[in-house]
Amino acid sequence: MTAMTTTAPVITGWSAISPFGPDGRAFAGGIREGRRTRARVDPADWPVPDEHACLVPGFDVTEALGAKGTRTMNRATGLTVAAVGQLLGHEKPTARVSEGTAFALGTTTGSAQSMMDFTRQSFVNERPYLVEPALVPYGVMNVTAARCAIWHGLKGPNTTIATGRPAGISALRYAGRLLATGRAERALAGAVEEYSVSRSWLHHHGKEGNGGTLGEGVAIFMVEPATSAARPLATLLATEFRTCVDGDFGTVVRMAIRAALARAGLPGADVYLASPSGASGAAGQAERAALAEVTSEAAISRVPELAELIADAGAASSALQVAAVLSVAEATPAAGKTAVITSVDPDGAVACALLRLEDSDPGPAGSLDG
Amino acid sequence: MNRSDASRVVITGLGIISSIGIGIPEFVESLRSGRSGAKPITSFDTTGYDYSNGCEIVDFDPARWIKEVPIAELGRTSQFSVAAARMAVEDAGLSVDQLRSARCHISIGTTDGESRDLDHLTETQVRSGWEALDPVVSRRATANLLPVAIAREFGLTQAETTTIATACSAGNYSIGNGFDAIRVGDADIALCGGADAVCRKTFTAFYRLGTIAPDCCRPFDRDRRGILTGEGAGVLILERLESAIARGATIYAEVLGYGLTCDAYHPVAPEPASVARCMALALRDADVKPDEVDLISAHGTGTKANDVTEVRAIREVFGDSVPRTISLKSMLGHTMGAASALAAIACSLAITHRFIPPTINHRVTDPECPIDCVPNASVAADLRIVQNNGLAFGGNNAVVVLSRYDEEAR
Repeated sequence: MTAMTTTAPVITGWSAISPFGPDGRAFAGGIREGRRTRARVDPADWPVPDEHACLVPGFDVTEALGAKGTRTMNRATGLTVAAVGQLLGHEKPTARVSEGTAFALGTTTGSAQSMMDFTRQSFVNERPYLVEPALVPYGVMNVTAARCAIWHGLKGPNTTIATGRPAGISALRYAGRLLATGRAERALAGAVEEYSVSRSWLHHHGKEGNGGTLGEGVAIFMVEPATSAARPLATLLATEFRTCVDGDFGTVVRMAIRAALARAGLPGADVYLASPSGASGAAGQAERAALAEVTSEAAISRVPELAELIADAGAASSALQVAAVLSVAEATPAAGKTAVITSVDPDGAVACALLRLEDSDPGPAGSLDG
Repeated sequence: MNRSDASRVVITGLGIISSIGIGIPEFVESLRSGRSGAKPITSFDTTGYDYSNGCEIVDFDPARWIKEVPIAELGRTSQFSVAAARMAVEDAGLSVDQLRSARCHISIGTTDGESRDLDHLTETQVRSGWEALDPVVSRRATANLLPVAIAREFGLTQAETTTIATACSAGNYSIGNGFDAIRVGDADIALCGGADAVCRKTFTAFYRLGTIAPDCCRPFDRDRRGILTGEGAGVLILERLESAIARGATIYAEVLGYGLTCDAYHPVAPEPASVARCMALALRDADVKPDEVDLISAHGTGTKANDVTEVRAIREVFGDSVPRTISLKSMLGHTMGAASALAAIACSLAITHRFIPPTINHRVTDPECPIDCVPNASVAADLRIVQNNGLAFGGNNAVVVLSRYDEEAR
């Protein structure tokens, strides 16, 4: 059996493509400015019920990645392939590095757009099976992580985790487990959500018109053992998951935060940065109140509330919250202080991540001068 | 190297929803007698396809198993998940109070999530426009609900819920995730497995790729023509050995280890070197040598590409002394995210009931697949170590190694 380690893993780099712009630098800038990105949706591009959305500005898969291998690639996959590329830079991995690099990617349900586009062809085409074969992989939820593996040569454990809004924290936890059990030497972990016509309509009907504005984006982190040579930005001290089964999100969020703090032996009052997920409706309100109660309003006030800036980014929201905390930490002397990120999905999943901020120097991938 | 008792993880409960049996007794009898789940698909309109057999479940009554969550709030895959979880919990002899006071880890693997619902929503959109979508179906048509529905059914506030969406190996991924969650101390009890429902999307995808068999699934056969899409769910209860002993639980098998690799090669075609590396990693994790493996439960889809590639990879690891290698998909069809979970359950039951389930529909073994696939009739066997393979689109390979539970640590 493989060797087990108990040291908390560290985050040594990150990248993000978001409504703030095409890279981590744009994201960090948008966070520090507290810039709102809500904009009118062009109905010519997006025949959706939404008037507004928070989209990655000008993102086009083929423009971002070139024409080769992108003809049928969906938006979530394009965003993720690009973000992983920014994080890895021009690294050409050796076989050993390639096999030792895991990838854990969070999502809600893959690309509803790709799945429905595929089935639509079966209903409208001359024969029900005369569908575009190149679309087949995109109708399966693991396509994004798998395409990234092919594009970037990642042969380690490759896992798609569909836990909805907390999926970014799920991916970090999963990556930590892979490192703790010796299944990978390092792991890319993050989450993605695309804006699409299908997601917009499903959201519209599912929330009966009260779902709030949708956003999109991706954030990817490099997670390594604490013994890694790379300089850590943060240590992942603890992650906790709970499930709200009775609608009382406040109680469950408090349980999750307290459990994470207890794992690290820290009092809540010492938490320096706190980021709630800003889920819509009562779940989000209860989450924020619980976070303020266990940590402090001051801690929450130090991190711009992401959902107010980029709306509901689905599974990407929790990953982008972690990126927001790192962006704030980069601009302030925060080394040694702690941060709590919470996420709730109105369907029931509740997550909390506790980070110790380590260093503010390297900045996000994709920065020109960082 | 002996594993200390504290880190040994065993299987103490099984929940089965399948086209060849719901629940352990019927499933065991079907595995032993080599029953086929194949029949014409009825869950969607198959007009225009030249052939359309599948392995659907026609006698599933959700109300028999789902007591707390309103059934209308659950798509068919979530219903399968909750039903299989209920069955596994009852089989393990765990009370709801015991579950609630434990730290539970729930991992459900899936290929399609609630694609059956997405198919219906797409059909509505095509015929009547986006405005006409049903709110209840729109809300439930998402993959993250599969494990959340289980937590809701039992009131498991302390549960970590995870949907593993790694396509056709997702069941094995989930078993591995539950195994690690227990070993690193994140959980006391894991409910893990996989679930999927037959849907037009996936049938059409495989049909378009020329990989749906016209009649039945014949793994490793010279004349094999492909898969039949199937459905169902398998959920396993995992816990520490010491907890199982303390409860006096029935132990079906021990999870010795698992391996994961990614081909990083092709969107749909498997790559033998990566599949072989996955098996080698799993055996190393389990501290098992290839010659100690008594049985391989292959991914064995019955497509031209899979079977030759998989057997080549098996021979790369096992050399010329390949253990008997069966495909449960010959009976169950390809149940997608449920496939490797149902196969792991079948392996556990094969260990417990001392027989090897057959590869049915077999006529002439393909010379390119030189293995003993235990054709058509089960055989009695005293199995100690069984390897369960899972391969997937995107090259997401996952292999789990199980053993008969012996009091002495291996």
